[in-house]
Amino acid sequence: MIGKSATSRKILLLAPLLLFLGLAYVVPFLGVVRWSFTLPEPGVGQYRSLFTDPLVQSVFIRTLRICLVVTAASLVMAYAIAYVWVRGSSVQRMLAEFCILVPFWISVLTRAFGWLAMLSNRGLINTWLQSAGIIGEPLALARNELGVIIGMTHFLIPFAVFPIASAMRSIDERVLLAARGMGASRTRIFWTVFVPLTYGGLIGAALIVFVFALGFFVTPAILGGGRSVMVAELVYLRIFQSPDWGLGAAISVVLVLFIGILLALMRRFIKPAHLVG
Amino acid sequence: MDNAFQKDCLEILASKVENGEISRRRFTQMAAMLLAGAPALLRSTGSYAQAKELVLVNWGGDAMTAYDKAYGQPFTKETGVTVKMDGSGPTEGAITAQFKSGKPSWDLLDIDPFSGISLGKQGMLEEIDYKVVDKNKMRPGFGWDHAASTYFFSYIIAYDSSKFGDQAPTGMADFFDVKKFPGKRSLYKWGSAMWEAALLADGVAPEKLYPLDLKRAHDKIAAFKENVVAYWGGGAESQSVLMDGEASMAIIWSTRAQLLEQDSGGNIKFIWDQGLISPGALGVMKGNPGGKENAMKFIASAQTPERQLEMFNLLGQGPANPATDALIPADRKRVNCVDPANMTKQIPLNMEWYAENYGKAFDEYTKVISA
Repeated sequence: MIGKSATSRKILLLAPLLLFLGLAYVVPFLGVVRWSFTLPEPGVGQYRSLFTDPLVQSVFIRTLRICLVVTAASLVMAYAIAYVWVRGSSVQRMLAEFCILVPFWISVLTRAFGWLAMLSNRGLINTWLQSAGIIGEPLALARNELGVIIGMTHFLIPFAVFPIASAMRSIDERVLLAARGMGASRTRIFWTVFVPLTYGGLIGAALIVFVFALGFFVTPAILGGGRSVMVAELVYLRIFQSPDWGLGAAISVVLVLFIGILLALMRRFIKPAHLVG
Repeated sequence: MDNAFQKDCLEILASKVENGEISRRRFTQMAAMLLAGAPALLRSTGSYAQAKELVLVNWGGDAMTAYDKAYGQPFTKETGVTVKMDGSGPTEGAITAQFKSGKPSWDLLDIDPFSGISLGKQGMLEEIDYKVVDKNKMRPGFGWDHAASTYFFSYIIAYDSSKFGDQAPTGMADFFDVKKFPGKRSLYKWGSAMWEAALLADGVAPEKLYPLDLKRAHDKIAAFKENVVAYWGGGAESQSVLMDGEASMAIIWSTRAQLLEQDSGGNIKFIWDQGLISPGALGVMKGNPGGKENAMKFIASAQTPERQLEMFNLLGQGPANPATDALIPADRKRVNCVDPANMTKQIPLNMEWYAENYGKAFDEYTKVISA
């Protein structure tokens, strides 16, 4: 390796990964791109139907709506957890770490069913509320969009915690002390100094959660009561249930492009290294 | 690759030993040759093995063992042809992919007859050879050009009797009537039979159902949406919405209704009235590796009443061969969806209509229920 520049050495180290990704993802995906322009007949007909087909439209809109709500909810909760994790006492830190890591070890399927047991009509929450006399009729918490949002938010919070915590850690403590010295209240320091300094992490977290949420399949299928079809399931239906591969492929291509743009945006706001704390 | 193939040959041999077709000693000799990699032998055994094997693709779960026990093993005993079960689900998309690859690895497909009709039209399935497969061992109207009738199930009303006192629903009109029968409902996520249910409830006469008036059906379903707690996507989910008391009534598969009745100690009951009979069928992949002839022989062997009885006992599906009905003990006749007494109360789904219209109708249905 003597005489090689650092860049080319890095490329060499990355080569196996690039090769693997190329063979395992890029090449097959080019096949999907080809389908989208050739099935059932050559042309851009499938892309046109993306903008005219009411089913595709309604699924796109629902997916965007769910993903936006889930992103907002995840950010708020992740911010609180990250704050405790970075700035709390040692006991609080342990607790925060526990809350972040334990869900990581449980499969997405198990968690979706767990939420079903919690949220259904005779689930824990409704039973408690009814026995406490707070509600008469059980609340519709699962088998609808709300259930999907709860299940997805729960899954995605940890992914938002890492970039936010990373941004919080990089704040210079002296800046906060200076603000204190100038006579700002704790609340004011938090909102006018602390939070603005974590915007980068927030934007990174928002993009990660949003991109992740776009591809969700299992959670909506279990918690959505069959009426909350999202984009991933629509692609599945097009490819497996009906041999309508062209449309399924076109949806995939649009989704990949959309996510590609989002990721390019993300790179401008946050260094990839910060995403894992 | 070769290694996998050798293993495969060994598996075939081993199952032959089990079935007593070849002696253990012969097995050891052949295995030794295989493992020594005698190429000529491998090749000849290879083609021989291929001709002596069928792969049956169904939807997995209990069906894997049931098919093996009821049809696969007896067929192997008779003919020496191994029948391998694959539970990966022969969806139309997957069959299309197999066909387009030019080298299909599947032989027999457990499909909806309407898929059989449309895939057959596209040249992906072999024609059923009715010289080998016996039409007289099928119920009239249930043998198609590219799909042979193998079993039946129904979409029927199951209800939680604890919620309605001594009143019981008598048909689809009651299902859609939440005043008379309060509580939430559950419908099928994939649309089949739901249009018929809505139209029957709306007063369409059974013999006037087809061609379905989809607009009328979807209007009825859309107006009923707030009463539906969930659109179940699989049998287990359909059971849980009733067991957990989330729905007081659901239209579910007859096979699951029987299980629910047992699990709930008779609390959850079902009726056959205005049930919608759905036939299941076997199709054969065009250019299947195991050969058309053996595939047809298998289908014919699965028409044996005793084997269909076994299937009824294992999975609760109604037998395709009417001669099987008589073999079912009196106390179990009640749960056979095609028993003469039950069949007269029901309406079979029209497979030709489904072959033509299912895709579009399902898209529309998805739009209506998720709007």
